[in-house]
Parts: sequence; C-alpha cells; structure tokens
Amino acid sequence: MKNTLIHLTSSPYSSIACKEGLDLALVLATFEQKVDLCLSDAALSLLTKHQQPEPEQGKNLHKLLDGLEFYDIENVFIESSSLAPDPATQWPGITSLDSAAWSELFSSYQQVFRF
Amino acid sequence: MQHTLLVTGSPYQSKACHSALCFARAALTAQPDSIKGVFFYEDAVLIGNDLAQPPRDEINLKQAWQTLASEFNLPLYLCIAAAVRRGVINETESKRYELNHHSLSSGFQLEGLGTFVELMNSTQKIIQFR
Repeated sequence: MKNTLIHLTSSPYSSIACKEGLDLALVLATFEQKVDLCLSDAALSLLTKHQQPEPEQGKNLHKLLDGLEFYDIENVFIESSSLAPDPATQWPGITSLDSAAWSELFSSYQQVFRF
Repeated sequence: MQHTLLVTGSPYQSKACHSALCFARAALTAQPDSIKGVFFYEDAVLIGNDLAQPPRDEINLKQAWQTLASEFNLPLYLCIAAAVRRGVINETESKRYELNHHSLSSGFQLEGLGTFVELMNSTQKIIQFR
C-alpha cells in the first residue's frame, strides 16, 4: 500500500477539479489506501463554514468534509499562514503546519496528486 | 521500473495530453514495458471523444494516442464517471442511459477509479500530467 497526498488548489466553484480531487480521495480511502488531503490557494474556500451554493454554482462540497473521518481520512493540512483570521469561520478539522513543515509535507508521501 | 501515467489536463485547455503522449512514446520506445497503463481523469477524458474532429492542419491527438496504444499494446483508461459526465459514452453506458448514440473512440476503455488504484499499487511510479 502506498501513502498518497491529494493537494487541492482549485476553487470549489470555478471548476469541478476540486470535486474530482475529493472523489479520488474517497475512492482511494474506500480501497483502504492511506490518503491525506492538503489545501492551498483557491481551494481554501472549501473550508469556509455556512456555504449555501445554488445548483448553478456547484455542489456544496463543504458538506463532504464532516464525512471524511468515516473514510479514515484523518489529516487535512493547510499552511498556518492560510488560517482564517476568525477561526470560527473555518472548518475545525484542519491541521495547520508552519512553512517548514508544509514544505516537507510534499516529500513525505510516495505520491502527490494535484487538483 | 514500470510507470502509470495519470493525465488530468484538458486536451484543449492544456498541453497535458500532448506532453503525456511525448513522454509515453519516448519511454515505450526505450523500454516497451515501461508503462503499464494510462489513466485519463478530469477533462483529459475528452481525448476519447470519437466525435471530436480537429482541423486537418493540426495534430489529431486522439489518433496519435490510438496509434501508440496499438503499437505497444498500451491500455488507455478513461475514468467512467468523469467520461459519462462529459458525454464520452460507450455502447453499454449508452444503453443504460437510453441514448441513441455512443461516442467512445476505439482503443480507449471506460473504467472506474478502482482500476487506477490497482495500477497505482502494481507500478513503481505514477506521473501526473495536468
């Protein structure tokens, strides 16, 4: 079994890349592969609470986050500089890493896929 | 060492399918069993649309992949969920959705992400083209 990091960088609302990245993560986990997630750039908006997108804006992917633990996806990393100024507005299941740990993150997996 | 290629970039909005083709051709020419399979995901599945007709003075990328696949017996997989969503449909799916047409090119096959997991676990390295 290999350990995999899925790095989401795309906005959940500008394309379906973010959704298809999450889909891959869920399938890997379903096949009992070790998978972690990390988010940066526009994908960080996935973490914002109380999203209510209309159908034409896309699916509410934020809702998937609470289900990750049922797939044994336990780690969702962001860089500490990406923490929201008000933590109450951000999904609480994230682990923040300082910039050194964030840089090392990408070399600690056998494979990294970006979406 | 055997590789799996994961191609995710659109054939129209990126050079992912072009770069992956060049890489695959070079790798297979050097060592014919160096790539176990190519898995197309996200917009890259559009490569398998048989109805797309590029202008005659441009490269026919789909045909180039088909030629390479046939020359080296290389499996070309399209993620079934990503493909069906984008209208790249084989005969079975066409019947399932009660459609009059199907659009999957020969040389490509629709497979679930489970096939990608199997490729991932049976090859030493995966290279993503996005």
